[in-house]
Amino acid sequence: MPSDARPPLGLTLGAIAGLAFLHLPILIIFLYAFTTEERSYQFPPPGLTTEWFGVAWNRADIWPPLYLSLRVAAISSAMALVLGTLCAAAMARAKFFGRDTVSLLVVLPIALPGIITGMSLRSAFAIGEIPFSTFTIVLGHATFCIVIVYNNAVARFRRLGPSMLEASADLGANSFQTFRHVILPNLGSALLAGGMLAFALSFDEVIVTTFTAGQQSTLPIWMLNELVRPRQRPVTNVVAIVVFVATFLPILAAYYLTRGAEETAGGGK
Amino acid sequence: MTGTAAHPARGPGDRLTGLFWRRPKLLTALLIAPPLLWLGVVYVGSLVALLIQSFYSIDRFSGIVVKEFTLRTYAELLIPSNFDVIVRTVTMAAAVTLASVVVAFPVAFFAARHAKGRWKAVFYLGIMLPLWSSYLVKVYAWKLILAKEGIVTWAAEGIGAGNLLNAVLALPVIGGNSLSTSYIGTFLVFLYVWLPYMILPMQASLERVPTSMLEASADLGAGGWRTFRSVILPLALPGVIAGSIFTFSLTLGDYIIPQIIGSSRFFIGQTVYSLQGTAGNIPLAAAFAVVPIAIMLVYLTVARKMGAFDAL
Amino acid sequence: MTPAVEFQSVSRHFGTVKAVDRVDLAIAEGAFFAMLGPSGSGKTTCLRLISGFEMPSAGTVRIFGEDMGAVPPNRRHVNTVFQDYALFPHMSVRDNVGYGLMVRGVDRRARRAKAEEMLALVKLDGFGDRKPAQLSGGQRQRVALARALVNEPRVLLLDEPLGALDLKLREAMQDELKSLQQRLGITFVFVTHDQGEALSMADRVAVFNEGRVAQVGTPAEIYERPATRFVADFVGSSNVLPPEITAAVGGPRAWASLRPEAIRIASEGRLRGIVTGARYLGAGTRIEVSAGALPRTPGYLPQDEGGIAVLVPAGRAVPAVGSEVALDWDEGALHLMEGA
Repeated sequence: MPSDARPPLGLTLGAIAGLAFLHLPILIIFLYAFTTEERSYQFPPPGLTTEWFGVAWNRADIWPPLYLSLRVAAISSAMALVLGTLCAAAMARAKFFGRDTVSLLVVLPIALPGIITGMSLRSAFAIGEIPFSTFTIVLGHATFCIVIVYNNAVARFRRLGPSMLEASADLGANSFQTFRHVILPNLGSALLAGGMLAFALSFDEVIVTTFTAGQQSTLPIWMLNELVRPRQRPVTNVVAIVVFVATFLPILAAYYLTRGAEETAGGGK
Repeated sequence: MTGTAAHPARGPGDRLTGLFWRRPKLLTALLIAPPLLWLGVVYVGSLVALLIQSFYSIDRFSGIVVKEFTLRTYAELLIPSNFDVIVRTVTMAAAVTLASVVVAFPVAFFAARHAKGRWKAVFYLGIMLPLWSSYLVKVYAWKLILAKEGIVTWAAEGIGAGNLLNAVLALPVIGGNSLSTSYIGTFLVFLYVWLPYMILPMQASLERVPTSMLEASADLGAGGWRTFRSVILPLALPGVIAGSIFTFSLTLGDYIIPQIIGSSRFFIGQTVYSLQGTAGNIPLAAAFAVVPIAIMLVYLTVARKMGAFDAL
Repeated sequence: MTPAVEFQSVSRHFGTVKAVDRVDLAIAEGAFFAMLGPSGSGKTTCLRLISGFEMPSAGTVRIFGEDMGAVPPNRRHVNTVFQDYALFPHMSVRDNVGYGLMVRGVDRRARRAKAEEMLALVKLDGFGDRKPAQLSGGQRQRVALARALVNEPRVLLLDEPLGALDLKLREAMQDELKSLQQRLGITFVFVTHDQGEALSMADRVAVFNEGRVAQVGTPAEIYERPATRFVADFVGSSNVLPPEITAAVGGPRAWASLRPEAIRIASEGRLRGIVTGARYLGAGTRIEVSAGALPRTPGYLPQDEGGIAVLVPAGRAVPAVGSEVALDWDEGALHLMEGA
């Protein structure tokens, strides 16, 4: 609960400075997408232009990575939706042996650094002699997306409580009717939010992907290559904005979907 | 009113419901099986594969992986050039963690105890959006900011601090040609990218400090600093530790940031990536990847003893 | 006549905890039956055994003679008013009430008509379009009641039905539930920890203690002739006399109960003692008569028992604290109890 006392000036300044530190760098990206300077990151930009959006649009090498990223994010978040919801439902039902192990197992892929998840999958592919494909990318993404859906769903199940499900059964509904008429409507927005966050996370992911993609290129991998060996810097700036918006919008939507509920989406990335 | 005490079962839905009711564990098992299988096979299986690989070795001449148990690969970690990488990474992780505690505190404290109504939402989004927005874009933004011709140099010269910037860059070890090729740059970006992970648990644990406790401390005549040191800090500690688990672990395992912004000297992540890729030495890459796991296990054990998990 | 609900040596164990332990119980059709007991006494578990949310570890639960061992909750002709009401937050009041009909496949129009009828029954006409969140606690309670009654259950279960309401509302609701039950003729079984509620509403009461039924009877029987020390203690606030004391005041050597309102302050009496405390209750004053009142018995120190409570009705003189009084009562007031 917030105290009524006025915050000390130092604290207020520190908090504002902290928030500014978190946000100003992102604004820089938007400025640079309009720069006329092509070869360096000169500041302030010598001039402003919108031509780079057109140039990026016509670059053939951007579209396949974009499609791949969208496909991977769609499949991964769909799988995570199913698996995360099932897991949350089981955890909400009852205490059972190994509960703590399951919750640890769900969190682990995101709690451990991406490089470990990536390297582990890479090791497994090497041992199993599995060739790289869209499937190998999805394998990794779905694994760390489960926890996002799970976190959203489990909080909602907790709020739903056991008595609501018992009331439904008491009034004559069988398990499937209870799922359709009580669980799904109450879980819906949480699942949608979880799915969108999972989509954003997958669309943007680069560390695990570099280990599981082989020669394929997702949009973040394309961008990473441009960062390491820049070809046409302003085009990269434009793509950066696209990636930013593609992750920003689902996050914002997820926030508004779960706003007001005691569990707001994104609390545990 | 007459009628039987029970309605008849209508269709398979009712019959299955009856079965689930008589055997509640069956339904739980059916629900948990798919996610458990997925995580068990794909994830735990992969972790086991990582461990197995780390006990293999590579034939120095043919470059082929020898699939026999050996500790030789782990011994290679102790070679000075490899060990330096580990020390460098752990030092960076520790520095980033400490700095993020300092920077996160005012934001977390303000958000937890002073933000109300609309401001609460502003702070929530203000922390959540940078956390979730594209990692790569955030790193890229810093490449633009820290570039030699970028905004920091421009601003430093604008306020007549250009010489100061040059003096800082001239410092041994942490300095460099420009901010974007120095350890200072790497450190700043790490701090920026992982900061929300420190703010959130800190805020959560600060929100749980009862206002009455702060008032009691003030009533007892404790000044701001005394209250801070003897009341707020101990209560915020679980959150700090929880946050440090994230900042520490994420810094240990990252390889994109030092690759894009920093000197050419490797961190653990870069070493793993280049070993498994161009060098083709998967066993050594795996052994290197086990290092952050081992460090984090020690860290988590200590943190658990200090009660950090209550704040997660 | 077949009882509406019958427990035959029913037990429900959770690990080593015997929540319900070999309970035998018969609830007659049309009864307003109370299950009374402190928390953890097994009364709620018994209610859940009837609705089907718990399964007996041993024994048989019968509803109208039918063994419920293989009947899941959704098929039992029994409905529940939950303690927290458990209304569906995403549905309107009308859809909440009509839910039981919907899952049984009743068409929309019939559902609507029946829901309105039920809402009228609980005096909530015109509230059908609201969401549960827009209702007061008392209104939610009525919705929960209407929703449970819409399926025309043969037994209605109520779990602490008045627990969440404030005092005034609780009293009004007591009368309303009672008259509703009489009008519908449905068997009502309700769980409560409030002895006043149980005694005033029910026509039969089962007192639960540690998973077992301590006594079943009419409210008057429970109140006036408690079967065990526990019942005497829990229902009202009887004086419980150990066998030595009972014998000393002229009874047999057995545990006995003596109601405070049955004791008179008199010039001559069966006991003498010192008034150690007085509490004004409105309808009377409850005084505590201590120590010296009880003849000393070897091996027993009456001081530890806290003395005897006496209710002095309003209008009578209340003896001052510290004064000596004599206590007397009618021959039949001393009620002997079985066992401990």
